[in-house]
Amino acid sequence: MSEPTPHDPESSLERVEAAIRRLDLARPLLWGRSIEEVLEPLGAVLDQWRDPRSRWRRELLHQHPEAAGFSRETVEAGLKLGLKEWSASALRELVERELGPLQGRPATRLVPFARTSVLLAGSIPNPTLLQCLLPLLVRSPTLVRPGSRDPVTARLVAASIAALDPELGRCIEVVDCPSTEAPAMQRFLASDCVVVSGSDETIEEVRRSVRPGQRLVAYGHKLSIAVLGPEATRSDDLGELADALSLDVALWDQLGCLSPVSIFVIDPEPRPAASRVAEALFEALSRREAEMPRGRVDAEVAAAIARGRSEADMRAAGGQPVEVHASMGTRFSVIREAGGQWRESPLHRFVRVHGLPDLLSLSEALLPLGRHLSAVALAGFEESADPDQAAFGSVARLLSELGASRICRPGRMQCPPLGWHHDGRPLLLPIARIADRESG
Amino acid sequence: VSADPARAGLDARLLDWMRKKTWRRDDARFEALALELFAFQYAHCAAYRRFCDGRGRTPASVRAWTEIPAVPTGAFKEVVLTSFPPERAVHVFRTSGTTTRTRGSLHLDTLDLYEASLLPTFRRHLLPEHAPGERVRFVVVAPSPEEAPDSSLSHMFGVLLGAIGSARSGYDVIGGELGAESLIEQVEACRLTGEPIALLGTAFAFVHLLEHLEAGGSKLACPPGSRLMETGGFKGRAREMPRKELYDWLSNRLGVPQTRIVNQYGMTELGSQFYDSVLVDPEGPRRKLGPPWARVRFIDPETGADVKEGEVGMVVIHDLANTGSVAALETADLGRRVLDEGGRPIGFEVLGRDPDAEARGCSIAADAMLAGLR
Repeated sequence: MSEPTPHDPESSLERVEAAIRRLDLARPLLWGRSIEEVLEPLGAVLDQWRDPRSRWRRELLHQHPEAAGFSRETVEAGLKLGLKEWSASALRELVERELGPLQGRPATRLVPFARTSVLLAGSIPNPTLLQCLLPLLVRSPTLVRPGSRDPVTARLVAASIAALDPELGRCIEVVDCPSTEAPAMQRFLASDCVVVSGSDETIEEVRRSVRPGQRLVAYGHKLSIAVLGPEATRSDDLGELADALSLDVALWDQLGCLSPVSIFVIDPEPRPAASRVAEALFEALSRREAEMPRGRVDAEVAAAIARGRSEADMRAAGGQPVEVHASMGTRFSVIREAGGQWRESPLHRFVRVHGLPDLLSLSEALLPLGRHLSAVALAGFEESADPDQAAFGSVARLLSELGASRICRPGRMQCPPLGWHHDGRPLLLPIARIADRESG
Repeated sequence: VSADPARAGLDARLLDWMRKKTWRRDDARFEALALELFAFQYAHCAAYRRFCDGRGRTPASVRAWTEIPAVPTGAFKEVVLTSFPPERAVHVFRTSGTTTRTRGSLHLDTLDLYEASLLPTFRRHLLPEHAPGERVRFVVVAPSPEEAPDSSLSHMFGVLLGAIGSARSGYDVIGGELGAESLIEQVEACRLTGEPIALLGTAFAFVHLLEHLEAGGSKLACPPGSRLMETGGFKGRAREMPRKELYDWLSNRLGVPQTRIVNQYGMTELGSQFYDSVLVDPEGPRRKLGPPWARVRFIDPETGADVKEGEVGMVVIHDLANTGSVAALETADLGRRVLDEGGRPIGFEVLGRDPDAEARGCSIAADAMLAGLR
């Protein structure tokens, strides 16, 4: 595993070159193994990461909050919830689900890419952990570039693999490679397979850099929402529901693509219903803040939050039925909006609550999201044994049709199953090649 | 001045200030006018009054201009903020609306203050060595006010050309297209005669011109004494460029030294503008300067209080030229006061967003998403 060194163009390129040479040397070790022989140690690595007492979790908890700007309590809670079900058996289930159908078909072979480059983004450790493991699982030597806001996790993941299985540890390299250093980035992106996470602009830049024939797997920026039906907002359990939603909002300070930025309240009387939700959520966020403080924000973010609040105040002053619930400072904000119109979200625990009279209005409100919708926390619609006939099932189906790739309960947004079809796609098949041999 | 007798007196006193030949910082005058204007706007703009009430600030409780609540510039996209009956509006300026669906609008019942403010401020910062009455050849890289009637910038250029432009001044964006060849011919003609020019336009339009010159492998040589004023950012545009890079490029391709390139900091919602100090004070640090009837504060977004001198804060502008709307505006920018060696404030700077900054999280801000969908 390489160590971070100061950035200068020449050494960045040299660092990438050196890492690639080491991966080229290690490739036969990986290709000499079966998937089962890779799955076993990677599953063990994952189990170590699940264990809060493991040295990796402790080390991450020590380094990550300062590096990424989260409070220690947020990182601790986010890891605990997010990794709870990410076990060796979950990893095996994923392999069996995606690669199982290929087993027993001698004419079909899964062929690993000679090298996979993984360009990470964001500051949340859980997806980084998985993105480091997946190419190895399909036996591709893996070159990882950490996101600038999390220089810690990928290195610890690589170290944890090396500690448990030194041979496998030689098959993953983590390199710093600033995007401004074109030669180093070009070299980094020259792998057979490139996995990139980031903004649409980043993805477009990477797309321009890869050659035809290279495999590009891109995960663009997304946003998530919650949808609450009448049963949720009119019941005595609203406090409990708001508490669950406050966890979804507060974890990772809303910086993940699974963090809800808006809550849609569907009710024949949308305004009072949305007001009830906004008030309950504000109370819940206040309690969360005491146990899991928001991390640090820079002046630009603080200004965006202050501006978001002032603009809402001004809309209210202009006669729109808008309510602003704001903490001291900029720590959390809940805006009860007048309708379903999308507005800028500064994130960092800034939520908008929209009251809408029916599902048709919801469809209209969500239309602008298009391909950007990720997860939806759904509650408050009638359930029955036949999910497709019940209100819950039909709302879930509608949301899937509108682009959601994950529907879950409030409070569960930040703990996707390991095998969740990220952006609605398989996880392993896109990063491997399948070769068919025809008989005769 | 305003047709409203309650405001006409206020407008007249401001016009009197704006027409003074010499500028002098006058704290008492600013304070008195600001408080009087606040009371007027509180009384005549219902939305602003409710906004102030929500903050517990009324003319009865506010004792200093720094306590007057500032309205976010984004509010001009949502609410018509006028201190006169909207039907009395004689002109509406609209923001470019590059990053959101709705465009902000400034409604004016008189253009007197707007024009009275812009002229002396421009002359002082762009033409400090020019004698009164001396005319300038303006080459404007923007549409004319006839072509873009709702653009405050085009209106400003129209006022400048009318008041102090030479007969050969003109616009080089026609029908939405940059007339690059015509502009090149004009500059070449001026090079031969040695007549200095003042190039005026948006940063983005200049980038188009520079790309055109670069594609043709050509460079212009503006005559000595020429100057350039650029304004506006790149937000929502396909291409962003740090100002330093833009100035290197402008200097290299147009032959205007960087010390004669001036950024104008202004916005549709404001009646007054601020300019880089380079022509007024070539030896001092580049910073923004404005007229005495417009003042700037830097606010800590966490507390709403002024930051310490020299620290970064949200830029809040109190512009007395905005008599018809709201005078105190909270901008979307961060900035800080520039101090001299003795720690005394000598202007301010606006901080641009780091174009290389990585997005904060993988969740996308709704505005970015909506911009991307258009």
